[in-house]
Amino acid sequence: MFEILHGGMQSTVQDVGRPGYGATGMPVCGTADRFSLAIANLLVGNDPGERYLVGENPGDAGIETLIYGLRLKSLGDTVIAITGADLMPTLNGEPLPMWQTVRVRADDVITFRRPQTGARAYLAIAGGIDVPVWAGSRSTYIRGGVGGFEGRAFRKGDIIRVNTPKRSFDDLAGRRLSPDLIPALRSPWQVRVVLGPHDYLFLDEGIETFLSVDWEMSDLSDRMGCRFRGAKLSFKPRPDYLIAQAGTDPSNVVDSGVVIGGIQVPGGMEPIVLHADGPSMGGYVVIATVISADLGKVGQIKPSEKARFVAVDTDEAVDALKELEDAISERNIVQK
Amino acid sequence: MFYSEAVYRTLGDLSINVEFGDEHDLRLNFRVMALANALKVHPIKGIRDIVPINSSLGIYYDPFTISRQKLIASLKEMGQGLGELTEVTSRLFKVPLWYGDRWTRECAAEHGKPYWLESLAELNDVTVEQFNKIHSESDWWVSAVGWMPGCWQAMPLNPAAAMKGGKATSPRSWTPVRTIGTIGRLTTYYPLRAPGGYQPIANTPVDFYDPKMPYPIFEGRPVIPRVSDRHRYVPIDETTYREIRRAYEGGSYEYEVVEEVYQVQEYIDRLNAFQKTLAEQESEGGQN
Repeated sequence: MFEILHGGMQSTVQDVGRPGYGATGMPVCGTADRFSLAIANLLVGNDPGERYLVGENPGDAGIETLIYGLRLKSLGDTVIAITGADLMPTLNGEPLPMWQTVRVRADDVITFRRPQTGARAYLAIAGGIDVPVWAGSRSTYIRGGVGGFEGRAFRKGDIIRVNTPKRSFDDLAGRRLSPDLIPALRSPWQVRVVLGPHDYLFLDEGIETFLSVDWEMSDLSDRMGCRFRGAKLSFKPRPDYLIAQAGTDPSNVVDSGVVIGGIQVPGGMEPIVLHADGPSMGGYVVIATVISADLGKVGQIKPSEKARFVAVDTDEAVDALKELEDAISERNIVQK
Repeated sequence: MFYSEAVYRTLGDLSINVEFGDEHDLRLNFRVMALANALKVHPIKGIRDIVPINSSLGIYYDPFTISRQKLIASLKEMGQGLGELTEVTSRLFKVPLWYGDRWTRECAAEHGKPYWLESLAELNDVTVEQFNKIHSESDWWVSAVGWMPGCWQAMPLNPAAAMKGGKATSPRSWTPVRTIGTIGRLTTYYPLRAPGGYQPIANTPVDFYDPKMPYPIFEGRPVIPRVSDRHRYVPIDETTYREIRRAYEGGSYEYEVVEEVYQVQEYIDRLNAFQKTLAEQESEGGQN
């Protein structure tokens, strides 16, 4: 068990998420960085779950914490692993190594101090976090007030329960991710996208601008969407029936399905990458969709950092996903 | 526009939208449901979720089980054998509404706006009473569920009930929970307190999204509405609103719902008759 001493900016329970509810409007939720949570789980002997958005098994749950401030105290003996953003974690004030297992004991205090690289760190605990499974997943849906720990982010005084570890603590000692697989999580960020579904509504120069500008991440970003600033994108002239149906604003369309990774461009300004808690339906044009393998990157960009969108085709996107998922493997865990 | 053939739009590497047109028209939604129902009867291996929304069907698929090219080929094949939707099993809900409720009035006041129900009535050249009567005397077809859990968009099955109205150009910062909003030809529901652009006109005492899933109608899912449901909005007063809300919270509410087979031709006939009347009025107007 752990006790929360400070909840930090936003710390929630997440697993791979809750796909399959598209027709109800329930967001998928789940980790904003699939690779980092999966590796943290794997290191401590937990189930990393299946692929984001289309897998059937959400795996074990860990804690996702944003930018800074989370502080928690261990109430017993266990093994943890921290991955994802380097938020300068410490154990009783001493630097705590990431991407490897760490033994903690009663009264040990873990603190996430401030962001060095990346935005979201992941903490997995041997056994996985014990919260009720709701609609097939332990992920938190903050806006709906459900899932995870009482449907909300952690606050001071919360007690975290943990399921029975699958492997002995001695067995988990010294496990680390093969160093060449640790992601850099820093700018220059290159986020791969597949153009569409509404790229045909933009002028060619609008698409060119979209793919050539260094977009700056806005601090108006959260788990629903990450917003970027940088340029205005130009639209083709609009047919009359669309004006009658969806309005004069060229960025409005008749509501259709949107997906995580979809990049909405309200007013042609400030592209918003829809993320884990994002909506299932929208009435703004979607110029492109971030490939599933790069969604984790988007979750790690800090406000005011710059990113560029790079167009690829769906075959390249599937190859990238295969590469990412193949890397989530016991054979990439080394033990010294 | 109605497309002559379905268009397959790419949404990244895990999803496509099968688009039958790009406007709000129930006939497009019937085509979407024809494909959605066919996929339920003859599932394609690798499809993980299907999401009908207005004029398109969203499909999530596992690219390691089925490639995008193969998926589209299979869908095209299925589409060729697909006739128009003629009849569909549809639930008809009676949804109690307090038109002109206190919370949507408060919301207008706090946003410094004239009350939407009144300005919509004025825009349509009717009284508020007439507006509510038109809104509550048609059945409405749920053509989309999404954006938030349990949020629906519904279109009137009586074409004459489609009134004028528009979406706010910049969304207001909040809308009261369980608000009913409209843009005249579409009615929507806010299951949670949320920003929004549809014009609030009423509030319902009944939840259609409830994480506790307290009634059998939830069928183990947190959301009741689904595309192809029909709604009839029933005007109630404040006293009845409070009684129904108490019953809902106490676990004794009974959803008024019947499941029937809806004949799609019924709507098509109505629409044709309505359009004919409109055309006649227009040509008479021209003669005068």
